[in-house]
This record gives sequence, structure tokens and C-alpha cells, in this order.
Amino acid sequence: MTAFRYSRTVYLAGALVLVGAVATGCGGGKSGSGGSDKTTGVTITVALATEPPPQASIDAFTKSTGITVKWTNTDWDSLQTKIAAAATAKTYFADATDVDWSRVGQLGKLNWFYPMENYLDTKALAAEMPQLTSFSSNGHVVGIPYDASFLVTTVNKKLFTKAGISTMPTTIDEYTADLKQIKSKNVAQYPLNIPFAAAEGLSTYWYQTTAAFGGTILDGSGKPQFATPDSPGYRAAQWMVDAIKQGLVPPGNINVADSQGQQTLMAKGVVASTFADYSGNVGSLYSVPASSTVVDQVAYLSTPGVGGAGPNMSNPDGIGIPRQAKYPAAAAKFIDWFTNAQNQADFAGASGPDKVMPGYFLPSRLAGMTELTEKGKLIGGQQLADLLKNSAKPVFPQGAPSWYPEFSKSVYTSLHAAATGSMSVDDAIKAMAGTANKLSS
Amino acid sequence: MTVGTHSGRRHDVPPTGTAGPGRAGPRGRRFDLLPYALVTPLALFILALALVPAGVTIVQSFFRVDELDPPTRFNGLANFRDLFADGAIRSSLVNTGLYVVIGVLLSTVLGIVMAVTLQRPFRGRSILIAVLILPWALPGVVEGLVWTGIWDANIGLLNSVLTSTHLISHYQVFLGQHRFLTILAIELVQVWQMTPLSTLLILASLQNIPSELYEAAVLDGCTPWQALRRITLPLARPGIAIAMVQAVIATLNVFDQPYVLNGSADTGASLTMQTYFISFQNLDFGEGYALSLLITVATLILSLGVVKLVYRQVEF
Repeated sequence: MTAFRYSRTVYLAGALVLVGAVATGCGGGKSGSGGSDKTTGVTITVALATEPPPQASIDAFTKSTGITVKWTNTDWDSLQTKIAAAATAKTYFADATDVDWSRVGQLGKLNWFYPMENYLDTKALAAEMPQLTSFSSNGHVVGIPYDASFLVTTVNKKLFTKAGISTMPTTIDEYTADLKQIKSKNVAQYPLNIPFAAAEGLSTYWYQTTAAFGGTILDGSGKPQFATPDSPGYRAAQWMVDAIKQGLVPPGNINVADSQGQQTLMAKGVVASTFADYSGNVGSLYSVPASSTVVDQVAYLSTPGVGGAGPNMSNPDGIGIPRQAKYPAAAAKFIDWFTNAQNQADFAGASGPDKVMPGYFLPSRLAGMTELTEKGKLIGGQQLADLLKNSAKPVFPQGAPSWYPEFSKSVYTSLHAAATGSMSVDDAIKAMAGTANKLSS
Repeated sequence: MTVGTHSGRRHDVPPTGTAGPGRAGPRGRRFDLLPYALVTPLALFILALALVPAGVTIVQSFFRVDELDPPTRFNGLANFRDLFADGAIRSSLVNTGLYVVIGVLLSTVLGIVMAVTLQRPFRGRSILIAVLILPWALPGVVEGLVWTGIWDANIGLLNSVLTSTHLISHYQVFLGQHRFLTILAIELVQVWQMTPLSTLLILASLQNIPSELYEAAVLDGCTPWQALRRITLPLARPGIAIAMVQAVIATLNVFDQPYVLNGSADTGASLTMQTYFISFQNLDFGEGYALSLLITVATLILSLGVVKLVYRQVEF
């Protein structure tokens, strides 16, 4: 009987605790009127789609500032969902998190992030970080690029040479002719990698190809610049679809995403070139014996354009401070530390393996890139530094429009459909242009 | 059932209204707070995590809730009209219908076959059941990645096997090129994931069938096939119905497998994927709510239909 009474009491207490927990959980976590200005003795949450820097580096930051960092590594798609859900519900999610270049327009219009110029000298940073312009929206800087990322052409020089090509192409026509020569000489059955899966990587590939053909995607008011057959965007789409129809691209690429193609085709020597590859892949993928069979064979190539070298489209990763951050000032101090030149160089391997941040390859600061290059820690470093400084351009000079995700979906689903043959290039372009016109009006 | 020995009978709650809080009832019993306290957390959970969001979804689906176009305002049936006017939604509707038909049929048939196979004890049965459950335990995204290596048109395992056995002369594109083939390939992955649960649900029903029925049937000259048709399947209908309902719910809400295996292409995009795109990419939550509501209504109607058609009360 005593045991029974004891159990009842325990059950009742447990039930009450659960009721309390439910009530607390349902109460939400609205942070209300903004975060604290405290910059010491606080713990901040940093949520990015990447591994954290080495613990020793983070500990050193904590020791020098009194700010403890809780790092959350979440995959990119889930992270974007969390950012949107938390901002919509005005709920705390993280003190610093991802600002993708493609969502800058949305984030800027929605005012979901603090302007970084409130915390950092962004004008001074602009001279040192060429890709900072990709994070501007309505005159504000929404995030700070923490790595450098732009699209580059990569070529397997061994396969080019084997096909009798001794001079690397400088124009798109020469490049196309060389690919056909590689195929005709049976050096590679399918010499070109284009990721035709209906995913963001297909859109960015087309942006880069359009830039190589000498054009832009949208004008300042968001109107399409690719609707007519003689426009660079139209010709770029036609060139890409022709490439798969003429057997320059593996037929299976209909369903190959960008990183998949780099890892399974380019890194294995199946294809001879990727027109819009990611900067850093030569050092981080193609020259790593564990992941590549083409070590020392792949090199960067200045973008073959219409009459010479074309630009390189930027797609960097940034970090910013959500409006619901608990400690925005502390988060800003962390971002300042996370993006300083020395740390970036260390994360990319300039000071040995102990300071390397897994998956981090290219600093967003020119000084970081220079240090890496001078220490010989970056394959193709000088070329990449030159491209970053002189050739890397934002896809949308005025910042990505707020409706970019919907437009991009139209781009990659239409180009994918054109590649499968279920839609003509003309219909694909009409669908893409129609979406841009509808969204921009 | 030996319900008479149930210990809880000593603490039965009196009928509602027979006693107030802390007062003795007509027959001298005190109001017992414990059962209500035990139920309250669950009730609150359901209220907070199911009923409130469901209510919000229903209401908001009739409003324009677009983060990029504030403020929130009533717009009647416009969200629903926009959905049906959207070619991508119509395409996804067809795709989802195919996922449901293929997935429910295959997982049910395979579930029955596996459950019947596992009905009688044999050496290694427990190990086999444990292995069977594995696909069910894996996250959909992981399954998608695993199967990418099988379906891949450039380096996939299936192409390699088929060419090395000379069944095909060159590598084939299984995903993304043709709609039906794409959906079939994707749905096979989901069937692979769902079938273990279907098997277990049907097996639970089969375990309740008294062996005397089979013994009597054998004495009457019944063949194994006749036993399956006349005894096993009719008496397993409750389990089969539940298995089919869970398959309807899973296939109507399929997301991970098509998203990982086929990206956002029209050849395989599901309605749930469109909900994600509309809500979290376009930030048009009103239209997202409307599509969610339609999916929920479709799930309810189909599930009720399955129960009505398949479920039968079984008593031994």
C-alpha cells in the first residue's frame, strides 16, 4: 500500500512536470525587442553548413574575448529552412548563421539580418574582400563572405595533350572545337562535364556560361536579358543543350549534380573539362590521391569567352547575424575573428594541419590568399588570387533579387527539361524569361 | 481475455459528474485526479503540436501570407486557384498519384508475401526479421544516397551488372529522362523502406490466427493456396488495412527519395516537395498552407477509403 501511494505521488509529480514542460515548450522563444550588447561572458550559437574550426582555435577566441562558441553544423537545405522558419516566427535560432549569396535579396528585403556595417567597417573590408559586393542589398551589407568561391574552368591537360592539343583554348569556339577533337580522337568518349540535374548547380553553370558568352542574366530591374536567340544567355543555353545532344556530355549527366560530377567524372578522368567548376577544386579534390585518379593533371583555365578571357561568377558563402540573435555584438566579434586574414589562411592550411578547418580552402580576404600562395600551400594560388581580385564578378551586380529562389528553380527545371528533350531550348528560355518577367513586375 | 484480473479495476474513475474535485461521490468515492493528470500532458501535446497547427493551417490557407508581400490579408480561395493553375503543381499531382498507386500496391503485396513467409517459426527467423527492419530504420536521405549509387547512369551498380551480364549493350538513364521510369525507380526505394513495417503489421495479424484453423483445414483437404486465400488473407485484413494506410500516408508525403535521387525535376517532384519550395524558398506560406491542407484532406479520404474497403472486424 505504501508502495502504491509512493507511485501515485511520483506519477502525479511526473505528470505535472510534463504539463509544465509542454506549457514551456509551447510558449515559444520570442526574443522580442532585440539582443544584448554584451560581448563577454556569453555563449553564442554559430550555425553553418560546415565543420567548425579546430577546437584549439575556438578556445583561443574564447580565452581572448570571453565569448564561448557553440557550433552547429547543419546541412545547407535544412539550415535555410531553419533560418526562414525562425525569422518568420521571430524566434531565436542562432547568433550567427549562413548568408548564402543567392538569398541576399530575400534577406535584405525582409530585414531578417542586422546590417553588418553597424558592427564592422565594411567599407574597409570591401577593398580586401572582392566578393563582399555579392552581399549587398538595398545599400546594406547582409553578410560577410567567409570563403572565396567563384566559378572557373578546369581542364585535364593530360587528356587535352593526348588529343594533340598543345595550346589551351582562349575562346568558347576554340574550347568547343577542342572538346570535339578529344571526342573524335576517342581520348574521352564524353569530354565535357555539365551537371544537368534539376538543382542549383545547373543554374550557376548557365550563369557562368552566359557570362562567358558576354552577357548578363537580369538587368537592374530584374528583367530577363536572355530572351532573344542572339542574346548571350540564349546562346549559352543552346550551347549547353547542344553539348549533351552531340555527345560531348555523358548522357547520364541528366541526373548528375555539380559536386557529384566533379567527384565521379572529373576527378576520375572520365571527362576532360568542366566549364563552370568551383574554385579550389584543383587543390582540394583533383590533387588529392584519396579522391582523385588525375593528380597533377588538372589545371585552372581562364574562362574561354567570346573574344578572349571571360569573367568568373561569384558564389561565396557568407555569415551574418539574424535579427533574433541573443548576442549580436558578441556574434559580430566572432565574425570579425572568423574572417580575419590570418585565421582564414590558417584554416586553409597555411600554418600546418593543426589549424586547418575541414572543408575550408579559399580565404575571402586577398591577404589570406596571398599568404597561402606565398607559402606554397595553395595549388594554382597565384592564378586564383588574380582571378579573385580582377575577374570574379557578382552574378547580380545589384544583389540577387528577393525572388531569386523561384527564378532559379525555373532556370534549372527548364534547362533540365531541355536537356532531356521534353522541352525545346526556345520553350525553356520562354519559361525562364516568363518567370523573371512575372516576378519582377 | 482475463480482464477480470486487471489490477486497475480497484481504482476505477467514477462516471463524469458523479463527484466534484475533492468531494465524496454519491457512493462515497473521492474524485481521482491522477488519470486526468496523466492524460493532460499527452492531450496538451496533441493540442499544441497537432490540433493548433492544423487549425492555423486551415485558417491561413485562405489568407495571403507572403513574407515578401506583407501584410497578411484574406484572399478567399485564391491560394487554391493559384495552385491548380500552376503547371508544376499539376505535374506533381500526377507524380504523387503514381507514387501512391505503385507504393501502396507493391509494399502491400510484398508485405503479405514476407509476413506469410515469416508466419511459421524456422531457424534464423528472428535474425531475418531484424535484418528486414534495417531499411525501415534508415533515414530517407541516406537511402536516397545509397540508391544513387545503384541507379546512377554513369557509374551506377545496376548499369554495371546489366552490361557485364550482357542484358544491355550500353549504360541506361534510369532517372530523370522518362517520367514513369523515374517514378518507378524512386518508388522502389520507398517501397524498400516501407515494406518492413507493412510486413510487421501484417505478421502481427497473422500471429493471432489460431493454428487449429489450419489444422482443421488440412483435415478437410485444403491446399496451402486455398488456406492462404480462405483463411490467412481474410483474417489478416485488419493488419493489411493498417499497413495500407501507413503506405498511403508515406507515399502521399514522399519527399526525401525524389529530392535526393532526382532533384527538383518535373519528372519526379512530389506535392510535398512543392510545399517545401512554395513555403521555404518562395516564402509564400499562404499557398504552402493551402497545399498542405489539400494533401491532408487527400490523405484522410484515401485512408478512409482503404479502411472501408479492406478493414474487417475479425473475431476468433
